Amino acid sequence: MAKAKVKPPITVEQISESYIDYVLTNNEPPKSVYVFSKMLGINESEFYNYFASFEAIESNLWESLTSKTITLSASQEIWAQYSSREKTLSFFYSYIELLKSRRSFIVYSLKNKCNSLITPSTLSRTRIVFEEFAEQILQEGLETGELADRKLFTKRYKDALWIQFKFIVNFWIQDSSAEFEKTDEAIEKGINVTFDLFQRSPIDNLFEYGKFLSQNTKFKEKMGL
Amino acid sequence: MKTQESMPVSKVERSAKFVKTGFQIGGNYLKHYSKKLFNPDLDREQLNEDNASDIYNSLSQLKGSALKIAQMLSMDKNILPKAYVNKFTQAQYNAPPLSGPLIMRTFTKSFGKSPQQIFDTFNIQSVQAASIGQVHEATLNGKKLAVKIQYPGVGDSISSDLRMVKPIAFRLLGMSEKELSIYINEVEERLLEETDYELELKRSIEFSKACKELKNVVFPDYYKEFSSSKIITMDWVDGLHLKEFLLTKPSQELRNKIGQALWDFYNFQQHKIRAVHADPHPGNFLITPDENLAVIDFGCIKELPSDFYYPFFGLVGKNAMNDKKATIKAFRQLEMILPEDTPKQVEFYYEAYKDMIGLFGRPYTDSQFDFSQNDFFEKLYEYGEKISKMPEFKQARGTKHFIYINRTNFGLYTILHDLQATVRTDTYTPELDLSAL
Repeated sequence: MAKAKVKPPITVEQISESYIDYVLTNNEPPKSVYVFSKMLGINESEFYNYFASFEAIESNLWESLTSKTITLSASQEIWAQYSSREKTLSFFYSYIELLKSRRSFIVYSLKNKCNSLITPSTLSRTRIVFEEFAEQILQEGLETGELADRKLFTKRYKDALWIQFKFIVNFWIQDSSAEFEKTDEAIEKGINVTFDLFQRSPIDNLFEYGKFLSQNTKFKEKMGL
Repeated sequence: MKTQESMPVSKVERSAKFVKTGFQIGGNYLKHYSKKLFNPDLDREQLNEDNASDIYNSLSQLKGSALKIAQMLSMDKNILPKAYVNKFTQAQYNAPPLSGPLIMRTFTKSFGKSPQQIFDTFNIQSVQAASIGQVHEATLNGKKLAVKIQYPGVGDSISSDLRMVKPIAFRLLGMSEKELSIYINEVEERLLEETDYELELKRSIEFSKACKELKNVVFPDYYKEFSSSKIITMDWVDGLHLKEFLLTKPSQELRNKIGQALWDFYNFQQHKIRAVHADPHPGNFLITPDENLAVIDFGCIKELPSDFYYPFFGLVGKNAMNDKKATIKAFRQLEMILPEDTPKQVEFYYEAYKDMIGLFGRPYTDSQFDFSQNDFFEKLYEYGEKISKMPEFKQARGTKHFIYINRTNFGLYTILHDLQATVRTDTYTPELDLSAL
């Protein structure tokens, strides 16, 4: 009988859900961790077992949505047949779909943090997860020759995708079209343009031609240049 | 086939595209007239060619409604000089495809399942662009299906595209904005209907049922359970497009048979249903191996209201315009002669439109018509050219219903001409018995 009286330990999910419920109802975070823990009926120290701060809850939620999308995307039967470009597109379509279930929270979480130049701290761990995923996809693309390897710039490709990430999420937050159709367009067009830039282009050939000419100064001299 | 390297992203970029075209056309005129200074013999053919290719290049980089407009202009061979037409007809087949993931997304949004979960097989590579969407091949229970998927955001971009294409259209047709607005609105209405796949499905089922009795005309079955606001699933129709069909050197008999099927299909609709499949571009038809005409797209339907049908078809046919008073009355009803016209103008437009409708209605005057005659078509084009240069026709005349009815009938004539077919034109004739109303 004594067993039944022992409260089951609180879970990460329970804390997250209670927190989300609180902020969405009150439109602001709880006054303190102490107040929030009391509300949950747990010790403050128990809260810290799971999270260091409220921000950590938000950060964790973002991260789990992102990892979940990556897992879901990669589990599609068709995934292996996709090119890097298509994998990226697929990720974003799935991501937007998943975010839909948490739209109010997403809007709340990024409220007043829509500056596209800096990454809000709630997204810093998401960024790591996303970039890890992006790097892997980009690497595949480089290996298959889908993408151009441009020594200095190749390392920056993932940054370009991160910019798209922030852009798409912000676009979606402001999207009022039916079924977020505009966001679909933004993804399709934005990612295609980004990948068009990653591919070999006339600019590459121009660079190479310039390099060739500068390396073959012998001819230049002969031609009186 | 030319591949597309990039697509204009935003509305701003699209506007820029159109603006650029406007400039280029201006530039082409400048080029034309400066060349003409030195070479007075230079004909307008070169200028038309330059303009057409600039407009075409610009339009073909846009998707959806702009492509549709290119298609529409290409149908109106009577208005546009030949050089435009050749360029525009290219627009009927090229458009960049949707990405695989977006196709998956459209499916999951509509049905909560991926195409692979719904069908036994689904080819993620599209087989054909359909101007506001693309077509995929699938199979289910051994049956081959065609799955049409719409580009996202097409409906939204139509209105803004039309606003941008307007100035170019004014220029091409030489009309003022105010006059053209009523027509542009009509076009917008039809185009928006075309983006409504639920409506299209409904109409496809209705029309194929209504036209079931027609000889040598066949329709695919449609699958409601695999159709949504963005997707239409129907039977796959094996067959050849008109161009490919003609390459097989079909016999005169066979060409007549297909031509007759086409003629019956259109005139049955016009006179029996009073609503017509108003998109007779060759991409919407297939000639099946068992020598039938298959109709595969009911996106664009134009209804013929009585206040248009009776006066208009009353003018078509043998001796229909013998009574001058009655003819003028009909022209007034059709807004071809306007209330504020002076008696002199009434006389002028009476003569002009009498000629025009006489020419247009010629296939109806006898029980049979040979569409292979070049002189008939030359006359039609000539007439179109002549009119486009007459200051009296700078002003827009005629009710808005003319746009789609003309497009439909000229489209029909053109296909029959391409087929070089002779058809019986008395199979379904105008029904003008007013007592039946």
